[in-house]
Amino acid sequence: MCPEHASAHWVLACRLEDLPPGGRILVTIDTTEVALFNLNGVVYAINNRCPHRGGPLIRGFLDAAGGIKCPLHGWRFDLRDGSSQRPARATTYPVKIQGEYLYVLLTTPALACRRE
Amino acid sequence: MHQEQITQLIKEEYAFFLQQRSGWSLTAGPQDLELVAHALRVLLHARTTPDFLADYLALVDCQHADGGWSPFSADHESTVWVSAFCGLMLIRGNRLLGHERLARAVHRAIDYFLATQRPDGRWVDPRWADLDTTSHPVSFFNVVIALGESYRRSDVQRAWEQGVRFILDHQSPDGGWYDNDFHPSGVEITAHLIQDALIADLVMENRVRGVREACAKGAAKLYALQAADGSWDGENVDHTMDCTRSLMIVTRVLGDEHGREVITRGLQWLIDVKNPHGWGDFPGMETNLERTCDGLDTLLKYQAYCSADPLAVVRLWGYVP
Ligand code: FES
Repeated sequence: MCPEHASAHWVLACRLEDLPPGGRILVTIDTTEVALFNLNGVVYAINNRCPHRGGPLIRGFLDAAGGIKCPLHGWRFDLRDGSSQRPARATTYPVKIQGEYLYVLLTTPALACRRE
Repeated sequence: MHQEQITQLIKEEYAFFLQQRSGWSLTAGPQDLELVAHALRVLLHARTTPDFLADYLALVDCQHADGGWSPFSADHESTVWVSAFCGLMLIRGNRLLGHERLARAVHRAIDYFLATQRPDGRWVDPRWADLDTTSHPVSFFNVVIALGESYRRSDVQRAWEQGVRFILDHQSPDGGWYDNDFHPSGVEITAHLIQDALIADLVMENRVRGVREACAKGAAKLYALQAADGSWDGENVDHTMDCTRSLMIVTRVLGDEHGREVITRGLQWLIDVKNPHGWGDFPGMETNLERTCDGLDTLLKYQAYCSADPLAVVRLWGYVP
């Protein structure tokens, strides 16, 4: 995808009550799997597929410092920005709460870009 | 579990694996080399390697000048874990293929592992825990030694022994191996290490003291961690395959019949959660080729494990000529 043709949209992910503190939920938006975690009232969204070999981060292990370890080979990613000490970065998404609903900001290729 | 059921499953899954050839064969273009190595292992254990010489030669073509390979065939930086897996497939494949280019590639791989070992005996790869990484060149050297490869023999023996010592020195008192920077449970690392250390001991005829005891303890740790449904690590298909396969070889070498029930439960769970074709990483997930290769490999090893010859599974692994 070329960044100048990308566009970002807030997309409804789930109801807030579906993700209480300590909870996690997997939502599929279009074809993108987004894993959502509520850590002490702060919600994080990360692409469910580990950038190493596609392990499902929704089944990962959370730590107190806001990291998640992939259940397959244990690579750790920071839920805030996807950074890692391993040679890969996970994709994270901004989250907003509006009323009873939770939205994630997904970047999708613009139509013109998709046609290329 | 009936042998006919296992045989039929192998037949079906192998046919599916061949259908997917463009997804794993280097003859179709650049590939993920971890997947390629998984696929070559299936060919070895299905005893069809002689039909795939072109795949082996293509693997030699993407070996780097330093003797290693990179995780993706078109990349240029060698890393240890995948290099060990590729080297192992080459040396084992060449027993059947007997090709001069493969033999030279094995020598270059030996050079690579001798050059990259750290002074304390470990090998390092940022993608994997040091213990897991170290177990792979040790496993490669196990086969190098078992097959009587004479190239740089004394260097290989020294490096091998240091690698085994590094592994043994890092076992926890409870029998498991852990690395807090990676997977917290230690299941996958323990499964890899007990098999590689025990085979090292078998190949080198007990030169490193305490290996059998350490591995028996590690196996007991895996028994204890198996869930009631037969899986390991929270229904992790990959880790359940690792544990099931590792215990087949470890319990055979140790003569531990208690493992049979554990192995059968693990295998039954794997069969129960498989997709119509292949396996995913967790129950309900879509099939991926790497896990499918592991699944097929597990079935093939189980067949050997059930053989009347107690060393058949060890031999299948390439350790006993
Ligand atoms: S797939 Fe996530 S660490 Fe390997």
